[in-house]
Amino acid sequence: MFRIVFVLVLAAISGCTTVVIDEYRRSEGELARGDSVVILGRRHSSEYETEPDLIDCVGDRLDNPDRGVRVIPEKQFVDAMYPWFEPRTAPMHLKSLDQLMKIPQVRERLETYGVKYIVWIDGSTETTSSAGSIGCSIGTGGAGCFGFGTWDKESDYEASVWDFRDRELSGKMSADAKGTSYMPAIVVPIPLIARVQNNACKGMAAQLQQFLIPGQPVNTKS
Amino acid sequence: MVFPRNGFSAATKIILITAAVFTAACSHTVRVDGEYPAPVGPQHPLTVGVYLSEGFSNFTYREDSEDRDNWSIDTGRAQKNLFGQVLDSMFKKAIPLSQYPQDLPDDVELVIVPEVRELQFTMPRETGVNIFEVWIKYDMHAYDQQGDSVADWVITAYGKTPTAFLRSREAALAQAINVALRDAGATLYTGFAQVPELKAVLARKQRSLSMKEAEETAD
Repeated sequence: MFRIVFVLVLAAISGCTTVVIDEYRRSEGELARGDSVVILGRRHSSEYETEPDLIDCVGDRLDNPDRGVRVIPEKQFVDAMYPWFEPRTAPMHLKSLDQLMKIPQVRERLETYGVKYIVWIDGSTETTSSAGSIGCSIGTGGAGCFGFGTWDKESDYEASVWDFRDRELSGKMSADAKGTSYMPAIVVPIPLIARVQNNACKGMAAQLQQFLIPGQPVNTKS
Repeated sequence: MVFPRNGFSAATKIILITAAVFTAACSHTVRVDGEYPAPVGPQHPLTVGVYLSEGFSNFTYREDSEDRDNWSIDTGRAQKNLFGQVLDSMFKKAIPLSQYPQDLPDDVELVIVPEVRELQFTMPRETGVNIFEVWIKYDMHAYDQQGDSVADWVITAYGKTPTAFLRSREAALAQAINVALRDAGATLYTGFAQVPELKAVLARKQRSLSMKEAEETAD
């Protein structure tokens, strides 16, 4: 009985993450058959980098050709458009995208891909504070760890949705997630990890899905 | 040095093995093997020779300062792939040269020779930011058919990669170098026509092509 209660308490504590999603829409999403969406990470800042695994996570959750959302993987798209979507050369504003479209080979390739929306995600997940300590020792009688550690993580992401065909900003959304992880160690360390980045990804993917195909139930990919 | 006849004693062996383990623990080897995409865009109407010297194609950076661990970073193969790929796609025709200036093909209008000037990197531990960073500086040279210098310019490339749980420092640094090499390719492609001397060469070539076309139309 004690074990069951202990496991339930641990499970409850490990889910300690809050996510806040904000949204600003200028137009409703409209995806026709054959249209595709590209999700790209901003990498121009020298202080942080939007994690490629966050971009993959949002893309994987959003990609659903049966429902009409076809997502081109970031690496495939950036390679196909080399060198125009590298950190140094990527268009920062819609005006720069117009300039890029003056290069016939670039325009042709984007049209071949059927790109309707380009979603730029900017932000990162960082450890904001940590406390506690864990000591481990090894001896002839065996080994073990004792102590307690805790750390807070914060995710802060903003997504800008560009309508490639109409050359306009369709909307913006942000996902802020916070969570605390714990690591009690009584002989064996037990990590209770708050999946902050993963929860930010889920929140942002669900919001993007509602934006791109309004009126459809949110995809529940795990 | 005189070695004992029956080989090293057990104690000496232990000391040597321990020393080898400690030395290995403080030295790191990174080999970057990148494949890079061909640039999308217009080609310059020139026939160029591309000479990637032995030193460039086998370039290895060695860090052996007292303040840091020893690093051996082999970027030769990756940068050979990158420059070969980008220059091949940038021009109407690019001819790889195995030697220079001997046996230069007659139709070559410009010979491009890149050299590595310097490579620098920083670790998250040194900067306090959870990012591995790499800077590579290339000296670029362009020569005409007679071997006279046409232009010298510099390409500065930057790459970074965030730290990730359980990924080795070597793998993270290799990824940052790959990003820097892609950046070098992007700068080479987009910046070539911005170098004043090369801009003049391209303008001359464009003019001669236009005149040739006009003559052909008149005939």
